[in-house]
Amino acid sequence: MSGVYEGRAWVFGDHVSTDQILPGAYLDRPMEEVGTYAMAGLDPTFRSRVQPGDIVVAGVNFGCGSSREAAVMALKQAGVAAVVARSFGRIFFRNAINNGFPAAIVADTRAIRAGDRLRLDIPSRALVHLRTGETTPLLNLTGTSLEILEAGGIVPFTLRRLGAAR
Amino acid sequence: MTAMTLTEKIIARAAGRDAVRPGDEVWAAVDLAAMHDSSGPRRIAGILEQFGGRLWDPQKIVLAIDHFAPAANQRHAEIVKLTRDWARARALPQFFDSVGVMHNLLLEEGLAHPGTLVVGADSHTVTAGAAGALAVGVGATELATVLVTGQIWLRVPPTVRIHFEGPLPDYLTARDMAMEVLRRLRADFAIYKAVEFTGPAVEGLELDERAVLANQAIEMGAKNGIVPPSGAVLERLGPAARAQGRPLAGDESAAYDDEHRIAMASVVPLVAVPPNVDNVVPVTALAGLELDRVYIGSCVGGKAADLRAAARVLRGRQARVPLQITPATRRVVEEALRDGTLETLLASGAIVQAPGCGACAGLHSGLLGPRERCLGTVTRNFPGRMGDPSAELYLASPLTAAASAVTGRITDPREFL
Repeated sequence: MSGVYEGRAWVFGDHVSTDQILPGAYLDRPMEEVGTYAMAGLDPTFRSRVQPGDIVVAGVNFGCGSSREAAVMALKQAGVAAVVARSFGRIFFRNAINNGFPAAIVADTRAIRAGDRLRLDIPSRALVHLRTGETTPLLNLTGTSLEILEAGGIVPFTLRRLGAAR
Repeated sequence: MTAMTLTEKIIARAAGRDAVRPGDEVWAAVDLAAMHDSSGPRRIAGILEQFGGRLWDPQKIVLAIDHFAPAANQRHAEIVKLTRDWARARALPQFFDSVGVMHNLLLEEGLAHPGTLVVGADSHTVTAGAAGALAVGVGATELATVLVTGQIWLRVPPTVRIHFEGPLPDYLTARDMAMEVLRRLRADFAIYKAVEFTGPAVEGLELDERAVLANQAIEMGAKNGIVPPSGAVLERLGPAARAQGRPLAGDESAAYDDEHRIAMASVVPLVAVPPNVDNVVPVTALAGLELDRVYIGSCVGGKAADLRAAARVLRGRQARVPLQITPATRRVVEEALRDGTLETLLASGAIVQAPGCGACAGLHSGLLGPRERCLGTVTRNFPGRMGDPSAELYLASPLTAAASAVTGRITDPREFL
């Protein structure tokens, strides 16, 4: 995994809940299908307009609420490459990392507009705002969470960990 | 010795260390792992197979069918069946089949012990903090790895203390206490932190009410909410609490990330206005707002204490709008039957449904239609949480919910107490 993601920004506000990212009405669907309903509770046009490699940008507390992992899987299956926010609901963050899906925290996302091109460079620990040229440092993705992300998720990470213990 | 908060002590014990500090990352031994029909077998069976299908310790695993029962359609029925078959094939000793919400069962059945580490595949797993456990929610995949290894990695959270001063007035419940915290500090003040609830108003709370504080910690953004066991609750939890030197309280000189004092005399009955849990105003600011219906239920608002509180207001009165009650567990119904609460509720015109998550999980049993306006004791009021994204879901205490059912409008419970 190179850890560098370049794509178009989708900008959302503060406190976007997992009830909005993947509404309860679709909780009874198989995990392989949830991508069809990504952001259904917030922007029903998102699914038809999102492009592979796009980056979701949000304010504070993105992914708050329910622990439903389907919220992460819906974004991932819809082609979203990464999420950047000022803070995350901690279970959403863990779910993201656990599925090899980058969820990066930066101090401020308010200058980013819909459609701006961004480069999330995890090895360099930076978010580059390609419209303004501004570079912002990443505030998370260190220690164990980075190891899990780099392993591609908690399942490959744990398989390796158990193998090493043997 | 390093002085530690209760949360830090529990992590240190689980990690086999003398001491931990906020920011440390540790691998911790899990005492209890819990999941339900939504986050459980349907999501994890395939993952477990990758590890050979062996469970770390079936005695320490709890599975409850609570989200999809009673099944509203064929898809739900298949999920319930799959869950039951999985539990039976493994003769899982702690399997609860459609008798209540996992979070409430952990407390009711005495499964969550003080000073232990509880991990559950649901955000409201934090509810078990009411018993003085460190209870954290995770997603299904991570829970699967816990079921295999018995371990989880944790970053030690800084602890914020919320100290409630003075006795709890009879027109307030723990839900008002939690909403007052959200009103003052907002929904993200505790992200990546632990919240510890203390003070005279907390000491006097029964386990059901402590569960409200711990439960709502997730709406504050917290990793966990914890109430140090004390008084009658400690007596009730006693035998488990005394086992194996488990921590029951933090050190006097422990360092808190922040401390907030709330005088109960300054708190009034509150309502959380959609679309957010921290959009909290005094009930008087909304008094008279017409409601389509009232809903009492969920892990936070469908406990025996909630039904009793509603009955205090509803005794001798009639609900003017549909009043739907989803008891959290079957035992809640039994208790309400025994102490006369059920009779009072039914006499008021309330409908009592099957125990479980009910409409709060957004799956069945009374979802809201477009622009329908409801006041509920449920966990969250996010758009689409309990039905159509355009529905208006107001959150309040069971006292306020009952008073509002009587008038059909948002109503201050002090008018009826």
